[in-house]
This record gives sequence, structure tokens and C-alpha cells, in this order.
Amino acid sequence: MSAASKHPGLRNSPRFRVFVITFAAVYAVAYYIALRNNWPVFSYGPAVGEWTLFNHSASDGPTMYWYGWIATSAIVAAVLGLIAAFLPQGLGRKLWSCLAWAVPVCMIAAIMYLLSGYFTH
Amino acid sequence: MWIALVITHGLLAFLLLGAVTHQVVSVWVPVRAGAANFVSRFRAVGSANYANAIIALYLVTAALGAFIYTNYRITARLTLEQGHFWKSFGAFEIKEHLIAIGLALLPAYWYFWRQPLDENDALTRKALTALLAFIVWWAFLAGHIANNIRGLGT
Repeated sequence: MSAASKHPGLRNSPRFRVFVITFAAVYAVAYYIALRNNWPVFSYGPAVGEWTLFNHSASDGPTMYWYGWIATSAIVAAVLGLIAAFLPQGLGRKLWSCLAWAVPVCMIAAIMYLLSGYFTH
Repeated sequence: MWIALVITHGLLAFLLLGAVTHQVVSVWVPVRAGAANFVSRFRAVGSANYANAIIALYLVTAALGAFIYTNYRITARLTLEQGHFWKSFGAFEIKEHLIAIGLALLPAYWYFWRQPLDENDALTRKALTALLAFIVWWAFLAGHIANNIRGLGT
């Protein structure tokens, strides 16, 4: 067996496959939950250039939570993705690759429904 | 400075739109025989060659957009609210969330476009490409409409 076949590299690793599928699916769900409940890891006040931890209004002007929602979702997805990647490999192989796009599609539909009020205003 | 950044963001988005549209068309309606006309040649591009460029363009365009977003939040967004452009406002809100979800698709997209392509993953590859294309098209149009309402330097 050649060195290349013993060490296929990150991109061809079965664990990486499990990680990317889990990451895409979990991130989409976590993002929807973070958005719905306003759970950012941090907040930003663009008018005053103010960064605060978690969900805090800026001292002046509007507050942006979008960056914080992305961070919340990325942390949750990375942790669960790593856990899933290091589960016994038999379980990982059963992970359906279509979850990588089917779950985000469902979450996008849910977000559109959540914001549908803007289109019936 | 913001105007230059918005124009650069628009140009990068335009490149991304072209790349992802080429790829999604070539992957969903590929041409098997020799390309005879413009439409066939459009469909006949080597779709795998676009993957890394699309990832790089998506990341750069999203990063620039995320930076410009701070200015949008205290200027253009107020114009949309005060003018009661609620549909455009909503479309832009959805754009933010689509872009955020698209970022998390990139590792999977990169993995499933790795060479040599695995035919067992063809459906996932096609669906991820179509989803990214949808996100890029929505973001481009919503951003373009918001920019048209607000105008540059007003």
C-alpha cells in the first residue's frame, strides 16, 4: 500500500465527509434558532463602533446581530461536526449526503416564512 | 470610500454570478456532443474547473459585503424604512440570511466537487451548486434593487 493511499488527505477522509455534511446541516438549523431567538455571540453598534458580548443594544444608534448569529451558528456547527466526525466510522457512513443541502433548503424556507410579513406589509 | 467599496462589491458579485451560473447550467443541462451554438457552448463549460473560483469569489464578496453592511445599516437601510420600501427591505433581510447560510455550504460544496468526481454524490453536488446559485442570484438582485433605491452618494 502506498503512502498516498494510507494517508488520503483531509479532503478524501471519511471523517471530513461527515464533518462537512454535519456542519452544513447543523449550521442552518442553528442559524434559524439564533435568528428566531436573537442569540448572537456578540453584537455590534455601527454608529459608535461598539462591540459587546452576547445580545446587548449599542449605547447609540442601531445594533447589528448578524455577525453574532453567524458566529453562534459556526461554533455550534463546528463542535457538533467534530463530534460527528469522530463517532465510529460505521455511523458516519450512514450519514445521508443530501442532508448537506436538504436541511439548509428547509431552513431557508423557514426564514422566508419568518420574514414573509415584509411582503404582505 | 464606501462608493468605491460598493462598486467593487458589485463587480465581484457579477463575476461570482457568471461563474456559478455557468456551473449550474453545465451541471444540470450538460452538453454531451460538440457545442454548436452560443447556448450549447455556455452549457459545455468544464463545471469542475469553476468550484475553487466560486469559493474564493464567494468568500471575498461576502467579506466585503459584511464590511459594507455596517454602513448600509446606518444609511441605506434608513432610506428603505423611511420610504416604506418593505418588499425591497425584506428581500435585503433575506439576502443577509441566505449569504450566511451559503457560507456554511462552502466546505460541503468544496468536498463534493473534489477530483475525481464521485458519481455516487452527483445529486448532492448538483443540489449544492443549484442552492449556491439561488443564493448568489437572490443576493445580487436584492443588493442591486436596494442600491437603486438608495442611489450612490445621496
